[in-house]
Amino acid sequence: MVIVRPIRQDDLAPLLALVRGGVGVGLTTLPDNEALLQARITASLATFARKAVRADEQWMFVMADVATGRVVGVCAIAGAVGLREPWYSYRVGTVVNASRELGIFTQTPTLFLSNDHTGASELCSLFLHPEFRVGRNGALLSKSRLLFMAQFRQHFARKVIAELRGVSDADGRSPFWESLGRHFFSMDFAEADYLTGIGKKSFVAELMPKHPLYSSFLSAEAQAVIGETHELTRPARRLLEQEGFRYEGHVDIFDAGPALECNLDDIDAVKKSAVHRVVKLLTAGQAPAGADSVPTLVCGTGIEHFAVGLARVISAADGIALDAESAAALGVSIGDEVRTVPLRPADRH
Amino acid sequence: MYVLRTAQPADLPQIEAIAAKSAIGITSLPPDRDRLLEKISNSRYSMSVDVDVPGEETYFFVLENVATGEIVGTSGIAASAGFHDRFYSYRNEIIVHASQELRVSNKIHALHLCHDLTGYSLLTSFYIDPALADGDLPQLLSRARLLFIAEHRQRFAEKLAAENPGVCDVDGNSPFWNAVGRRFFGMDYPQAEQLSGGRSKTFIAELMPQYPIYVPLLPDEAKLAIGQLHPDGELPFSILMDEGFEPDTYIDIFDGGPTVEARVDTLRSVRYQHRSRVDGHFASDGTEHVSIIANTKAEHFRALLGRVRVGVVGGAGIGLSPDVAEALGVGDGDIIRSVDLVPPTTGEMAW
Repeated sequence: MVIVRPIRQDDLAPLLALVRGGVGVGLTTLPDNEALLQARITASLATFARKAVRADEQWMFVMADVATGRVVGVCAIAGAVGLREPWYSYRVGTVVNASRELGIFTQTPTLFLSNDHTGASELCSLFLHPEFRVGRNGALLSKSRLLFMAQFRQHFARKVIAELRGVSDADGRSPFWESLGRHFFSMDFAEADYLTGIGKKSFVAELMPKHPLYSSFLSAEAQAVIGETHELTRPARRLLEQEGFRYEGHVDIFDAGPALECNLDDIDAVKKSAVHRVVKLLTAGQAPAGADSVPTLVCGTGIEHFAVGLARVISAADGIALDAESAAALGVSIGDEVRTVPLRPADRH
Repeated sequence: MYVLRTAQPADLPQIEAIAAKSAIGITSLPPDRDRLLEKISNSRYSMSVDVDVPGEETYFFVLENVATGEIVGTSGIAASAGFHDRFYSYRNEIIVHASQELRVSNKIHALHLCHDLTGYSLLTSFYIDPALADGDLPQLLSRARLLFIAEHRQRFAEKLAAENPGVCDVDGNSPFWNAVGRRFFGMDYPQAEQLSGGRSKTFIAELMPQYPIYVPLLPDEAKLAIGQLHPDGELPFSILMDEGFEPDTYIDIFDGGPTVEARVDTLRSVRYQHRSRVDGHFASDGTEHVSIIANTKAEHFRALLGRVRVGVVGGAGIGLSPDVAEALGVGDGDIIRSVDLVPPTTGEMAW
């Protein structure tokens, strides 16, 4: 069994190993840089200890194998983006040139540099070790954050965004970057991406064009990937879309990957999660069956020793019954309150 | 003898023939009888009225072989570019994208749609019979306008501009238009121009992209066309360059050709021209200067290439030969303006 829990100081070495195991170009916020990862852990520890302000808050989690303690995945939430340094994205727009007299009506797609997402909370830094991309691990890792936000919504902004990796090839070559960014900044996408990951994104952004761009001036290849998700990130996109996240026309300024967005209160898992009291623990032999046996995200209600797991849950008089293995992994016992939501939106009522 | 004079309605058939031959880039000489007649009428009207500040006046001149009555060239001036409206150009700009932190500084070339040249006086309609292009007549055709402007300063702005044709292929397809305007119009430039039906370019310009164009994003052939002159435009362009026009700041929004500009007072023919009284003596002493000579009239403006004699002992002004005086329509005591055909390139006035 795996659970998702806040990152700890002793996760640094496993996290580095995980990142070196092949995050690759495009997962900007997890650079292969020990000092940077240490800084992120430090920020997260301060955040969980309630010693940070919203602008600096970084809620970082790892997925750990309960039996071995092995760290197999990572994910995070930024309390608010763009409050320390400008947060840039391109807004995809349209300019119409029309003249009834000349019989002209053309629509030209445009890219407007914007700071529209300033102050939004951001789901970020999701990575799951390839060996563990099985079953429901990916969904658990991603959606654990939604349950956390549901439980501690006072710490988050009204709007939540997630920037998804844009299209690039195996060598990290992004057609959008090649057609746009490269002209303004003589470096490879991988290098720009790395600079972004180590906190220099706004510096890089300062070198980018500030005026609106006519996307029709870009290569056909570049135009085709605006708002498109990298092949490997499509499952992550589907998971978020199931929860109500939508692409609303904002894309990354470097690779044109889509920013998905949703109001916190409209996220399906947030809306439909509920707090229940644990009234019974089920032993292995008492595995629930039938309609009640849907895989369910469960977390405790305290911020200390927080953990999310996928448990088997059945409703009981005055509360719920939880399988004993999950309860132990999550550190909850009979009488405790837990927040739950079925993993799949289709199972929620 | 060739004389530059104001265009008259009787010149229409010959001007029409010239317009049919002229390059696509010379939009101020449309191959359209009604518009040409209007151009002549506007010019005649403009010459006849008193003007305090430049407005919608246009001035149109023809170069005539006096012996045959043949018209071999045209030139013109519009008093105020974009009058009643705007005159659009792209301004070449450099945007510096710099980051101290990253130790990077990039100069980015961008084209900014602007109205900067609105209200400038425009030199227009230059055409010379190709058979006469190699001689001195192009100098007369182009620079006599500057003498006209020098004499009638209240009719013109302090600054002048002139559009020059940009590069295009034999079918009139412009690489600059194909990369820029075409995206917003979905048609070839000749077609767009035709569609606008002779209305001012402003009409089309208002449909053009309003945001700056980042040059690095343009295809190479369009980049190369920026500020690039059509070979047909080399002659009038070189005359303006010699006069001191500045070619690097503005380009035409449609074909990317260079739009040159200058302050009137800085132009060579304005700095080195003389305003003199005609003296009846055309004696053999003094010195002779091959000059562009113009009278100081408006409706009856005339200019030609000829000799003036200066420094005549006992003379009170400038000497002209009788045939020159007659061709200019001036007599003893009248005022003329003249400038050496080859003025000094630097330094003092020649006389």
